[in-house]
Amino acid sequence: MNSTLAILAVLDGISYAALVFLVSVGLSLIFGVLRVVNVAHGSLYAFGAYLAATFSIKVAPLSPWLTYPALLAASVVIGVVCGGFIERFLLRPLYGRDDVLQLLITFAAFMIMDNLQRLIWGVQPIFAAEPLKLLPNVTVFGVNYTSYQVILLPGVALMTLFGLRYFLRHTLAGAVIMAVTEDREASTSIGIDARRVYFVTFIIGASLAALGGALASPTTSLVPGMGADMIVLSFAVAATAGLGQIEGTALTALMIGLTRAFVIYLQPEFEVLVPYLLMVLVLLVRPYGLFGATQVRKI
Amino acid sequence: MTPMLSFENVNVAIADAPVLRNVTFALRPGASAALIGRNGAGKTTTVRTIMGFTKAIGAIRLGGEDLGSIPPHRRPSLGVGYAPEDRRLFSAFTVEENILLPGRVAKLSLQETRRRLERAYSVLPELQELARRPAGSVSGGQGKMVALGRALMLGTRLLILDEPFQGLAPVLAQRYAEALRRLRSQDKDITMLITESNPKLLETFADVTLTIERGEIEGDSSQSIG
Repeated sequence: MNSTLAILAVLDGISYAALVFLVSVGLSLIFGVLRVVNVAHGSLYAFGAYLAATFSIKVAPLSPWLTYPALLAASVVIGVVCGGFIERFLLRPLYGRDDVLQLLITFAAFMIMDNLQRLIWGVQPIFAAEPLKLLPNVTVFGVNYTSYQVILLPGVALMTLFGLRYFLRHTLAGAVIMAVTEDREASTSIGIDARRVYFVTFIIGASLAALGGALASPTTSLVPGMGADMIVLSFAVAATAGLGQIEGTALTALMIGLTRAFVIYLQPEFEVLVPYLLMVLVLLVRPYGLFGATQVRKI
Repeated sequence: MTPMLSFENVNVAIADAPVLRNVTFALRPGASAALIGRNGAGKTTTVRTIMGFTKAIGAIRLGGEDLGSIPPHRRPSLGVGYAPEDRRLFSAFTVEENILLPGRVAKLSLQETRRRLERAYSVLPELQELARRPAGSVSGGQGKMVALGRALMLGTRLLILDEPFQGLAPVLAQRYAEALRRLRSQDKDITMLITESNPKLLETFADVTLTIERGEIEGDSSQSIG
């Protein structure tokens, strides 16, 4: 592998890791607080991408710069509407019941949303690359690359990481989420409305999945099935990091993103295999993930 | 006089098995009540029912107000402080953050939050030394103290302590009992309900003793006004 290809692989890896992080951290946050593995997370990613493309195509003739707020708006709409609906009407009736029910219901939601996506946007690929084309290319060690992918996407991912860290550790709302994450009943006994916390957290997690999709939309053609690919990969990242680990998710997304990018250049037939191979290896050695810890019960 | 806390024919079943049967008692404001019973008698279910963590049939009133229509997360803001049996501190926060969190959630003013923190420290002076320590790093006995301090943040009318002496070394149990006596001397109006399996530990402190056995209060509990 020559140096140009190596730099390309690094840039591809960073760009891809940023998107994977956004989706995975939403999944991880939802699991950390609600203890729900949200299979419909991939659909929220796909819906975010499709709605962002729809909004971008509508607003681009007015001003191409409006496509950026359109990406954000699509994320919020999908997070609030779809995420809010799933938590309120599909998950809330199941809290306290068998975990398998939650898995089944989110799987059903995923299948329903996959069909809805085909009904609404059809099966033909959709392109909406305006936000990507607006920003100039940059040269990194002699390699030309889009600044959208190499600066904007990692920038948004880093802002999300540090924003989430600040929110959880330095605000009352964050402290309340941390408390519910640790002990729902103890939280309720000091006056915290755990149901509201679940609702808000699910919307945040869903919005992050949709944001990942919205930001990915200018970089790829949107096709049916994109949600399924992303949920499996983001689950691999979240599980490898340790479910509920925000910083760990960022590092694992980077590790898997870079590894995947190098594999594409070196042995492309192993592209799909590598993230899951890493996940299996890590989970065999550390069942709680790279950054997860076993729950210690103090006596 | 309106009782601070009353149970009228309260029944609770868990997984269809009756755990509380026709529990009836009343506590006057300012009472120090001991709820005594063996393991599995229904002590913890009784206090969890006050907090709204079980589905109960019957009437539970706080200062005459029916708690049945009040969701569990609103009950602490009525002046109810609860220290569960197994402490259940938030390990991600420091000791002081644990004590302050109920006040922050209830949106108490800064001045009132500070006043209540001082109250907790005056009852439990040893907590000041632990204030900056992560709650996950304190010992089991210290954790019981922190749980009491946290309960005091909102517990201005009714303080519920579930088996506070269980697992405490004798010296810590002594200190915990001293803290309760300090609280009682500082605040004559607060009602305390303390569960315990060993009746001797509370015999000098409690002015009313309720005995629970197989989910039933023994004796004529309707007169247990304290």
